[in-house]
Parts: sequence; C-alpha cells; structure tokens
Amino acid sequence: MNDKLTPSNGQKSGPRYWRSLEHKADSPEFREFVENEFPSGVDLIDDPVSRRNFMKIMSASFALAGLGVSGCRRPEHKILPFSKMPENYVHGTPQYYATAMPTRGTAVPLVAKSYDGRPIKVEGNAEYPGSNGGTDQYVQASILSLYDPDRGINFKRADYSVRGGVEVTEFTEDGKKTLKIEPKAGVLKLLEGLANSKTHVLMEQSSSPSRARLVDGLRAKGVNFYEYEPIDFSVHAEAAAIAFGPGVEPYYKLAEAKAILSLDCDFLGTEESAYQHIRGFAEGRRVKDDTKENPADSMNRLYSVEGMLTLTGTNADHRLRIPTGSVIRVAALALAEALDGIGSDGAQDGISQLRAFAADLSKDFSDSHATEGQTKADTAKWVGQCVADLVRLAKRGDKTLVVAGYRQPKEVHLAAMAMNELLGNVGSTLLLRSVKPSGNGSIADLVDQFKDDDNLVVLGGDPAYNSPADLDWAKLVDRAGRVIRQGYYIDQTAQDADAYIPAAHYLESWGDARTSDGTLVPVQPLIAPLFGGMTELEVLARLGGGTESDPYKIVRKTFEGIAGEGDTQWEKFLHDGFLAESASGVENREYDWEVAQAAWLDGVEPVKPPSKGHYEVTFYRDHSVDDGRWCNNGWLLETPNPVTRIAWDNVLLMSYQSARELLGEEAAQEALDFEELDKKSGGLPGRFGFHSDAGHFYQKVYKLEVGGKTVEGPIWLLPGMADNVIGVALGYGRGLGRVGGVAGFDAYSIRTSSAAHFAGEAKLAEKPSATYEVACTQEQGIMDGRPVIREGNANDFNGHKDFVKHFDLDSIHHTAHITKNGARYEWEKDRGDLAASPYKHNFGGASNGPKYMDEERQQWGMVIDLGTCVGCDACVLACQSENNIPIVGKQQLAIGREMSWIRIDRYFSGDEHNPQVSYQGVGCQHCEDAPCESVCPVNATVHDEEGLNLMAYNRCVGTRYCSNNCPYKVRRFNYYDYNRRPFGVEDGKRKPGVFFNDDNDLNNSPLHPGNKSSNGEWELVRWYKDPSRGSVPGLDDGKKENGAFDPEWDLIKLSKNPDVSVRMRGVMEKCTYCLQRIQRGKIEQKVEARDSDNVKVPDGKIQTACEQVCPADAIAFGDISDKESEVYRQIRQNRNYSVLGFLDTRPRTTYLAKLRNPNTAMPDYYDIPNSVKEYNDENHGNVFGGPSHDKTNGHEKEAKH
Amino acid sequence: MAEHSVSSSVKIAPPPVELEREHLVANQRSIGWLSDTVANVIENKAPRWWWIAICISVLTSIWLPIGLVYLISTGVGVWGLNHPVAWGWAIVNFVWWIGIGHAGTLISAILFLLRQKWRTSINRAAEAMTIFAVMCAGIFPAVHVGRIWFDWWLFPIPTANSIWPQFRSPLLWDVFAVSTYFTVSVLFWYMGLIPDLATMRDRFRKVAGKVVEPAAKLRNKVAQVFYGLFSLGWTGSNRHWRNYEKAYLLLAGLSTPLVLSVHSIVSFDFAVSQLPGWHTTIFPPYFVAGAVFSGFGMVMTLMIPLRSLYKGLDEIVTVRHLELMCKVTLTTGSIVGYAYGMEFFIAYYGGNPYELYAFKNRAFGDYYWSYWLMISCNVVSPHLFWFKWCRTTPWFIWIVTIFVNIGMWMERFVIVVTSLHNDFMPGNWGYYSPTWVDVCTYIGTFGFFMTLFLLFCRFLPLIAISEVKGVTPQADPHHPLGGAKH
Repeated sequence: MNDKLTPSNGQKSGPRYWRSLEHKADSPEFREFVENEFPSGVDLIDDPVSRRNFMKIMSASFALAGLGVSGCRRPEHKILPFSKMPENYVHGTPQYYATAMPTRGTAVPLVAKSYDGRPIKVEGNAEYPGSNGGTDQYVQASILSLYDPDRGINFKRADYSVRGGVEVTEFTEDGKKTLKIEPKAGVLKLLEGLANSKTHVLMEQSSSPSRARLVDGLRAKGVNFYEYEPIDFSVHAEAAAIAFGPGVEPYYKLAEAKAILSLDCDFLGTEESAYQHIRGFAEGRRVKDDTKENPADSMNRLYSVEGMLTLTGTNADHRLRIPTGSVIRVAALALAEALDGIGSDGAQDGISQLRAFAADLSKDFSDSHATEGQTKADTAKWVGQCVADLVRLAKRGDKTLVVAGYRQPKEVHLAAMAMNELLGNVGSTLLLRSVKPSGNGSIADLVDQFKDDDNLVVLGGDPAYNSPADLDWAKLVDRAGRVIRQGYYIDQTAQDADAYIPAAHYLESWGDARTSDGTLVPVQPLIAPLFGGMTELEVLARLGGGTESDPYKIVRKTFEGIAGEGDTQWEKFLHDGFLAESASGVENREYDWEVAQAAWLDGVEPVKPPSKGHYEVTFYRDHSVDDGRWCNNGWLLETPNPVTRIAWDNVLLMSYQSARELLGEEAAQEALDFEELDKKSGGLPGRFGFHSDAGHFYQKVYKLEVGGKTVEGPIWLLPGMADNVIGVALGYGRGLGRVGGVAGFDAYSIRTSSAAHFAGEAKLAEKPSATYEVACTQEQGIMDGRPVIREGNANDFNGHKDFVKHFDLDSIHHTAHITKNGARYEWEKDRGDLAASPYKHNFGGASNGPKYMDEERQQWGMVIDLGTCVGCDACVLACQSENNIPIVGKQQLAIGREMSWIRIDRYFSGDEHNPQVSYQGVGCQHCEDAPCESVCPVNATVHDEEGLNLMAYNRCVGTRYCSNNCPYKVRRFNYYDYNRRPFGVEDGKRKPGVFFNDDNDLNNSPLHPGNKSSNGEWELVRWYKDPSRGSVPGLDDGKKENGAFDPEWDLIKLSKNPDVSVRMRGVMEKCTYCLQRIQRGKIEQKVEARDSDNVKVPDGKIQTACEQVCPADAIAFGDISDKESEVYRQIRQNRNYSVLGFLDTRPRTTYLAKLRNPNTAMPDYYDIPNSVKEYNDENHGNVFGGPSHDKTNGHEKEAKH
Repeated sequence: MAEHSVSSSVKIAPPPVELEREHLVANQRSIGWLSDTVANVIENKAPRWWWIAICISVLTSIWLPIGLVYLISTGVGVWGLNHPVAWGWAIVNFVWWIGIGHAGTLISAILFLLRQKWRTSINRAAEAMTIFAVMCAGIFPAVHVGRIWFDWWLFPIPTANSIWPQFRSPLLWDVFAVSTYFTVSVLFWYMGLIPDLATMRDRFRKVAGKVVEPAAKLRNKVAQVFYGLFSLGWTGSNRHWRNYEKAYLLLAGLSTPLVLSVHSIVSFDFAVSQLPGWHTTIFPPYFVAGAVFSGFGMVMTLMIPLRSLYKGLDEIVTVRHLELMCKVTLTTGSIVGYAYGMEFFIAYYGGNPYELYAFKNRAFGDYYWSYWLMISCNVVSPHLFWFKWCRTTPWFIWIVTIFVNIGMWMERFVIVVTSLHNDFMPGNWGYYSPTWVDVCTYIGTFGFFMTLFLLFCRFLPLIAISEVKGVTPQADPHHPLGGAKH
C-alpha cells in the first residue's frame, strides 16, 4: 500500500511520469525558451482575459519554444491536426511535473498533473523522503485559485493625484496625467530607483533561498525589509532560540512518540505542516495487525489541553478544556510535576514557583473535564496523572512529546521544551534544525522606522485587511510617498496603492523553497501566468534594478550556489522535486535552564481566567480560508469545518455552559435539542443535534466587544469549548471576489498586536432581533446508539477481539441462524464470520445466467481505518478536484444540496461539556447487492463484474429513487445546473456571494424577462438568442467589443479534469472509486503486460484520489480478491466491519473500528467509549461487559433480544 | 309503502313494513322525470354558481402551467427537495390523487359485480372524478424527474442503443399500472355514457324545430353532432342493449383487479425499498383501503354540494346513498386505522431499532404535527359515522369528508417525508419544507381537476340515466307506473 505511484519506478513502457522541464531538452529551441522565460510578447498582453487572448497566451510560449514538454502548452493551431507531433506529447495522456507549494515557513513538495498544458490536480510528492504523498486541504484546493476569475489580471496604476485612491483606474493612453507608455511598463517604471534606504518592503514569510539572496543584495543597498503574517508560527523558533540558543528551529517526529501532550497545539489541524503531523501521529497510532499485536502496546496516546475544540482535541484520548490564556498555568503545573517526577537537579527551586503560578487551577476550572455522572473533577489531578504517564514512559525508555501551539506565548513553549528535555525527547521526537534568521523586521518595526514620504512596497499578504487593528495601516499608507503592491487580488491594499502588480500563482512561477526539515524543493511552473502576473522574485529583482530579473535564472543561480554548477543535478532536482540530502543539519543542543528560567520569569504573566460576562476571545486559523488567503476559493469555503460542520461563514463559538448563561437555560437546551434528550418526547435523540428550525439555522447575532472594538456575528454552540471562551475564525469578511465576498465577518477588526491570539475582557451584547443564517451540513450530531462508528478502548481489545461483531442487527448473536457456509465468492471462502449470500444468482450456474461478479477479474474494494482518520477533510477536497464536483453556494448548502461525494460525519458522544468525538468518512459503499440499482427504472446505475457500482450519467433521468433507497445517502443530485453556474451573478449583474437560485423566486427562471444572466439559463434560450454562442453560459453584458464572451466560462472549463464527465442538471452522481484512475491503471498494466497474461494491476498502483491524499494513510483501496493486497489483509482484521451490515447489501467499503487509548488513572477515564455506552443503553446491549463491570473481567455477556 | 303489482292470479302478501326498503329514487319519481332532471342540467342555462365556480377553477388551474414551466425550465431545485429528502410534495400528490381515483372504478366495477344497485346514482360522477384525478396524478411522476425530456426512457421502446427499462424497478411498474388503469377507466366510463349520450342526442333532436333564436339553434346543432358522434349510433335496440350489458360486465371484471393492483403497485414504490417506514409488507392492502377511503371521501365532497345545487338531484342521490357511502368510509377508515396500529406494533415487535425509530419519529419527531393531523382525520373522524345522525346529515358528512381528504394527504406526506428525513445514518439527517412552487403546483392541480369536473357536469349527464332507471320499481313493465310512458 505504501508502494505509491512513483516517478521513475522503472516502467518499461507506458507513459513516463515525471518529467522535468527540459527533460531531453538539449535543443537550441529549449535554450531560447530558457532565455525567454516567459517569452517576450506575453508581457504586452494586458487586456482583460478574453477567450482569444487566453488562447494566445496559452500557446505563446509554447509556439516560441517549439517543444512539446517545455512550454507546458500546446500550439495554438488547435484546429489542425498534429502533422508533426510535439515530442513526448500524447494527446489525452497527462503529464506529471514535480513542483512545490510554498507556505509560510515551509513548502509542500508536489507532483502536478497536467493535461494539454493545464494543471488540473496536485498531489504530494511521494518520492520526497518521509512523505506518503499526502497533502492537506489547502494544497488540494490551491489549483482552483489558479483559475479564479476574480484574481487581479492587470497591471494597474492609480491616478497620481489621488492619494490612497479609492478607485484604481486602468491606465489608458487617453487618460489624463498618465505617461504615454502601456500599463505594465508604467508600473514597472515606478519600481526603478527604489533600491535605497527610503524604500521599505513588506513581505510574507518565505523559506525561499532565492528570495533571501535577493533580499540580502537589496539590504546592502539600504532597502529595509519586513515580514508580516497574521497567523505566525515563528513562536516555535523564538522559544527554541531562547531555550537552546539562537539559530535553531524545532520540528517534531510524532511517529516515535508513545504519548503526546499538546498544550493548545492543534498540530493535526491548524499548525504549520499539519499534514505531516497527521502522518506521524497516524503512524504512531496505527494498529497494523490486530490479529497479532496488542493495540494497548502499540498505540500512542494523546493528551490535549485547549480552549477551543480543535481537530487535535477531538482526536485526543484525554482532553482538558481550559481557556486559551490559562493554558500557561497548566503548562507550569505540568512542568512542576515533571520536575518532581524525573527529579532533575539544579532546577528544583523553580518547582515551587511554578506551583505557585499554577495554584488554584482546580478551583478556577473545576469542571474542565467533568463528565456525566462524575463529581466535580480535579484539574490538578488530570495534569498530575497525565505527566505521571509521560514520566512512566520516559523511565521505561519510551519517547514522548510535549508540544505547545502557536497561539500560546513563548513561556508555554519554554515549559514544553523543558519537559521534553526532562523526558529525554530532545534529539529523538523533538529535533532542532539549524536555521538562519531572516533578519527582516516585523510590521511593528515598519511603522516605527517608516518616515514620511518613504516608499512602500508590499509583496503578497493584505495588510490593509489583516494588519493588527491598533496599527493604523491607512495612516501609514497616507504617509508614504509611493506605494507599490504586488498581490493576487485587487484587495484593499492594492486599491490604496499607486501601482498594482498581479501576482503569479505558484503553478505559474519559478521559485524555490525549503520544507519543514530544510530540504530544498523547486517551484516549477506548469503554465505561463494566465494573466501575465509576476512572482515575488521577479519584483524584487526589478526593484534592485539588476540585469537579471528572470526568476528561472535567479532560482538556478541560487541552486548552483547550494548544490554546485552543472546540468545534471539541476535536472535531477527538477525531476525529483527536491534536492536530496539538503535538509538542514540537526543540532544537538542542551536546554539552557538558566536562560529559559530567566526568560520565563521575565515574560510570564498570570492571565485572569474569564468568567461569566467577561469572555476570552480566541482567534484561530480557519480550516477553509486560512488567514484569508483562500477567501475566494469556493472548494474550501464549501468544505465544512471538520469540527463545527459549518461552511461559508465564521461564527462566535461558545460552550454549552456559556450559551446557557448567555441565552438562558431554555434557549441553550433548544439549541442542543436537550428537550429530546430528556426523553420527554418518546426517547428521540437530539443531543448535540443542533436541531434547526425547519432545516435552517437562524442564529442570533451578537456584538462582540474587545478593547473598544466591536464585530458582529452569529453565535454557535459548540460542545467542548472551554467555558466563557469565544472562538473566532480569522480570514473571513475580506469582502473580496464574488465567491467569498460576503462570507463571514472580519475578526481582524478586533485583533490587536498585543492580543493577537487571544484577548481577555471581551463582552457580548445581543443585537436585537437580528438573526443570521448559518449553513451547517450536519444537523444531527450524535449517533444515538446507532453503531455506525464502532469504538473500543485499546486496553479492552485483547479480551474482546471480536467486539465489532457484537453490534447492531448483524451481531453474531442475532445472526446465529443464518447459514455461514452457503454460496460464496472465491475470495471470501475463508471468512467464517460472513453470512453466506442468500442470492444464489450472484454465483452464476446453468439456470441463473451469468455471475454478477467475475471471479477472474480484479475485485475493487476499500477499507477506511477510523483509528487513524483524524477528520481533516483533505480527502473531500481531493475528490472535488479529481472528479469535477461543483460547488453549490451557501443557500443551496444550507438546505442540504451539497455535492461532495465524500462527507465526513462527525459525532459527539457523552457529556455535553466535554464530549468524545468520532469522525467517519462516507462515500459510496459500492454494495454488491446495491439497493440503488434495483430501483432505477432506466438502468442508469448498474454493477460491473469488478464489483463497482457504476453510474451512467447519460442514462440518468433523475427520478432520485436510488438516493432514497441508499441506506448511506451518499448519492448527490444536481438540482440545478451547478456546473454551468457563473459566479456571483444576479439579474444580469455581477454580485458577490450570489450563487444559484438563492432565493427561490421567478427571477431565476430563464423565461423571466428580467433575468439577463445565465443564472440557470436554459440552453435553448441561450442558443436562440445567439446561435453562434453555443452553450456557453456567461453574462450577456460580458460581451467584449470584439464579440468575445465573458472569459469566466473558459476559466471554469480549464480547471476541469478531462477524464471525468461534467454532470448536467437533473443527474444523480456519486463516488466512483475514481473509475478513471482504475481504467488508466488497467490500461497501463495491459501496455506493460504486452503478450503476457500479467494484466492484473499490482496492489497500490491504482490509488483513488482520497486514498492518495490521505496523510494518515487511513484509506486503502485495492483488489479484495488478491491475497497479497492491503485491502485483503485489512478486511481480515478483527476490527473490520460493514456499516449497516445487517441490510446485507454487502458493501465493498468497510471500516476498521476506532480504538481509543485512554489512561485508566485519569479522572476522565471511561471504561468504554461513550458511543458504546449509548449503544448499550439504547439497544440493551452489553458490548464490553458494560460500564458497571470490571473492565479486566474477560467475561462478557451480550444481551440477546 | 309502494305496492308491488304482480300477476292477479298469484297473490303475494306485501312484505312487512319494517322490511320495506327505501327506494333508491325518492318520491316515486317516474322515469321520464329522471331523464328530464338529469338532462335539464345540460339543457338549461348554466346556473350562476357554475359560472363563478368555473372562473375560480380556471384561475386556480393557471398555477399548474406556471409551476411546471418554471420547474422544467429551471430545474427540480425549484422544489424544496434536498438531500436526504429527494421525494416531496410531488410524490405525495401523485399518490394522493391516484388514491382519489380509486372510488370511481370501485363503485362502477366492484359494486356492479356485487349487484349493489345504489351505485347507479353516483357511479358516473365518481368515474369522471377518477379519470380527472388520475390525470392530475399522472402529471407528477412525469415532471418530478430531473430530465423530463427523457421520460420516454421509462417506456419499453426499442431504441438504437438497446437499453431497456429496468424491470425490477417499481417506478416502471407504476408506468404500466397507472397507464393501464387510466385506459380502462376511460373506456369503462365512456361505455357507460353511450346510452345517455344517445338520450341527449335524441332530446336535442326532438326540440330542434322549436328553437328559433340563432345562438340556441347553433347550440342545438352542435349538441346534436357532438352527442350524435359519441353515441356511436346507439338506438336502444335489444341487440345494442344485449351487447352493451355483456361488454359492461366484461369491463367490470377487467377493472376489478385493477382497483387492487394500481394502488398495490403504487405502494410498492415504498414497500420494495429498504427504508425504515417504507419497507413494510402491509403496504399493498393498506394503500388500497386508504385509496378507497379517500376516494369515497372525495366522491362525497363533490356530490353533496351538487345534489343540493341542481334541482331534483337530491331525490336521485338520496341521504340513503350518502349513508351507504359513509359506511364504506367507516369500514375502510377502520382498516386504515388498524394498519397504522399494526405498523407500530410490528415496528416494536420486529425488534429492528431502525424501524422502531422511524415510527417513533413519525409520532414524536419533527413532523409530529403531520402524524397527529393524519390520525385525527383518518382514524378519529370516520368513527363519527357510527352515529346515525352523523351519516345522515349531509353538511356534517361533507365536513368529515374534507377531513378525510386532508388526512389522506397527510398520510402520504408522513410516509414519504418522515421516513426519508431521518433514516439510517444520523450524520445525513435533514429537514424538508416545500417551496411556493410545490404548493402552487398542487393548488393548480385542484383548479385543473375542478375545471374538468365542472365541464363534465355541464356537458355530460352526471347521473347514469339509463342505469338509474333500471333500478327504479318503474323499470318493471308490470309496475303500475312502469314501462316507457313518455
């Protein structure tokens, strides 16, 4: 399974996967191409993109280079056949290039898949050491931003006379007070002569060595450089520099840690490089073979201390909820306990100090992990037992890890590192790599050092939007002489600037970066900038006025400075996508107790715990928009937050207790549907049901006031939040673009530099009679005793190896009467637990006709390991990107018409203050006896001989009966023509946030005279209006002078995967197990097999998009009839079960039960997971012998009924 | 009361008064009076209430094309459907209208075979109602699909791509069941109309010479041609009657299984699936009983006003007729009530927690109001008919029948929506509410139905004249008042 699709795994035939740009490119043409990256001519194109122009630039560089591979383009002669086929170009065969997506301090090494010059999918570079090819949701969605029609597409200059001009006028020759040169040259001219000390450059963080080189050069000329990230992870490095001496940065090896204590560190969700942490965490948690090993020995254990409810917290075995600002007290107590436990000398004095600091923790947060039926719990005991466990492991010689989150002050990090030192983790799970400080100032330094009439260059970011609220960016801009802005969107920063330079997407850029361990990776362009944008490197180079402004040359020169000159290693670098052995050295340093203690005493401040009416606001990095950079990315906006399941908005998150105090008992109970919990109405479920009013969540709007600044937003009750903490996601309300233009509210407006991550003394005031609709994709938050997710405790497992077989109606007790030795397929002959199929016709025979499944062929199936799945949503995005899944907009989502083929169900169980959480990804289960198939009247959904449940879109008439009859409800229906929807159009005008038939009125009918848009326009009408337009939707008023149509449609089309059909309205769709990938794998295997019979695709060669992207390797796909395959092995694990197996639909997707690994000594220890308790209560079952029994008692009685 | 006139040579004592049956036509009306009363509805000027009613109906029916054009042009999303509730009002309305359509054929076919003579006063109007109701019903499955222009794929038409419909799907069975039912119902109705059409033809012919006003002359002419054409040359000869009676019997025999099959098959849409709340073997008989229940409800809803609005009709559709229909309603209502109880019992007794939840959810979940509305309308209200006063007081019956109609709509809503909105996996549960398009399309079908029915009242004999004549004592030629005296 780990044998992923590799770039150069020696295929004898078939396509070659990875190809560097100049692979086989010794030709003079290529040289010329390199000289002219990107060729002259492209520069001159400054028209807004039109279809014609688009095709022109699409093909320009290619035509000049004359090479099939190098230009990422194919020639413009699209009507003519390739009489001379470009070398290595096979129409319809994708090409793969290694590249990387730069993030704040690191980069994600990638392989990008390109069709005819258009990148359509990115995947993690599995060749990269320590990678499994997994990535995160941002990376998957980044490709959509490339084709974002709202991105800045022109060089623009504001009229000089207007300072901070509101309006950016496009430079035209007729315009007043403008130079007689075209806009791009005009803008670039402004860059000239800025290489002096009067110039201040504000940038985003970057790991690019080329940028560092250029910055060094410019700094020598006096230019001042600053960096600003609204969400800044550099506190990790700052603390390490104090504790271990300067020049080091920590990075973690989670895989080896047997126990992890997270101090408000959401390393599985919102920390930098979370996907790598997920991989390490899953590695340490995975029970590889439960028939042999004891999970209690092999699984790691996660303790989490946090104020928000994060992905990390929801995946923790024990979770302590403490307001974000008070985590420092827990850290102090934990460190004191660790010092006690390990007995370190020389630091003993600190213990009492630490204890004094942490005093009264139990009094202040008496019910932080209180659980149903338990008395008020002792927080100090929680911390004590947790640290005792870490110490016990350390003494045993096992490695552990204590991590602190970016939200926490560096004192918490110092404490965490001290514990790691004590526990012996430094050098094993906590590694220190040497780094060179960037030497750039902060945004505060910029304000300090900026003198009136100095010049300001802003590269990336959007400080006008996200700079601290107390900084007064507008004033700074007012003071500036010349403001030049390079950015991806024409945002507020750009509108205030004198000149705007469109930024290139990373898939349009040459660049380089270093990953989290310091390995050098290339950023290679897959396509020339669609709108002529410029990279940061190019702007810096031009700023310096140097002769070389070609980013390719800059990058190559930097590379040669690192790896030496010569083509061979450069080519290998581009081909592999990384420079081997280039990771920074791991430093072996000792924790400097004295310095650290001094720093601690110097900086530590006791934070007053929040109380009723005096809230603490915690700002968090959003799972969709990050810090706002993906604010116009529809895929991300529509993917619900993994914990809240809310999409399209940010909300004011609060705990049940806080809601009860704010809204009153009754309203809070209503929000959680507690009435029904109390069994007043027939024992219906509803706890955490968030039951909505007629399917809609109209939330009360509150005004949140922090330090005199206010923001308004809807409140949302999230069980598990710390009491009196308000969680607010950053990055919304940027007001940019037509997709995300109206999403959420801007939390930056209440965020100051002194309280960047959490702020105390916040107040909430109700905005009378104001409600706001929140789109939540999951109305029912609990399983209510339905064993769709089956869980157990690791320490119970050995006594109850077959526990998953004791659930539901297919429990071994219920099915004792069913024969287990009837007709079977060959590959399940050894499965004694499986009921024989009652459907004899499946197995062929003289009178029964052909077999449904052909035993000679490969049989596809999937296993999802709920034990390692952390619920990160990466698979949802990968599926969306791979399978052309449209977005539907907030209103459609709110009424339950989302289209994603995989949904992640999140279930709470247990206590409403601190619940347990479980995640389950559900896609089409590919049932062998599929209920959907038998009810389709037109044979549109049918089975194939390889066990796939197929969907023939062209045959579907859309009765939706299949969806009704699907027990898993995984089918999605195109209620409107979602795929042909233009962005943000209403009544023929562009309008942000407007999607498809938002308000169901007659205006949306194509027959309505007022409807000039194609907002659901009938193709026939469109064709009637203008036959030459064909079926291209778009704005009528988007016509350009030359008769070209609105370019959006072209952009939308470009982003589609040509291997997958785009579904029209009225058609049902669903997960296909990435049929296109299966077919490609089979074809490649047949090519390879040639005359031999070896046409069986080897295991691991075909990867579905979700499997490929999963950083946790929680999804396995393959041939269930192949004894060597990973799925075959996993199906035979004890934990394997089918959801709703009693229906006997024989799903091909099965699950491995989730195991929790709690510590029996902890005060919040449960004998059995809460969801199992619910199952026992609801079904009078007795899985694991019930909570009242001694867990070590091997006897279990399962009630029969 | 009435004395039987028998051969003078045989003296038979008249039956005791308490065994006397009330005559089906009140007041000893002659058969000539019968013809006049029914035909006058057509011959006289349309009363004012008719004009008002048809105006309202036509205006209401406009919603139907509006709803459908918007739907077809824009997409199924204009309805309130979502994920997981992929069927909503359209299917509810379909099943409801089909159910309404059950009374007609039941009355004309089954009661005919059972020799229930009282059926003659109401069978014509009930059959007309059936046909119009099935027309309304048929609209919904045709338009509820995502790609209406491919509806023809549901028919077994050999095409170039050689894909046949999927014969295991209940939706396909629906296509056959409903179309067969509609065809046979129309044939049956039309066959029964032939003698009466001939009567109308003859009556118009008879007065043709006396009409002088040009407009009336034209009307007379058109009527002669229209009734003449469709009466297929009926002369009332012995031979015609013999063939007619035989064909009527055969069609009645043919229709009888259809009464049972159509709604059984419609119920298979649900029963064949595996959704808790749908997956129930009780559905076929329970749906048929419910259909008859709602059908009789609708017949009474229509007939009670008609018999008081048209002069003389209350003597043909007497209180006794209403009382008998009330008894059928009471019986079928009790069957439906029993089925509701049995569903719950099996859900409990069957030991399937998903099934039990589905039923609990009906009664106590988000849509509890629809369930209790259904129970009070369908289970409670028909039991009022145990009381004589209740089943002999027309205005009261009318109110109860309205409840029956509401209750049966609610029943279908409960089955379709509550089962879907909370099914197996809590993670995908949702809520459904209709949009204005759903509501208006449904209201539009009412307009459509009422328009057709009012036109039927105006232009076709709404009582089967010849059949009613046949069940009067006067039909006996030996009766003192018997024989064709007019």
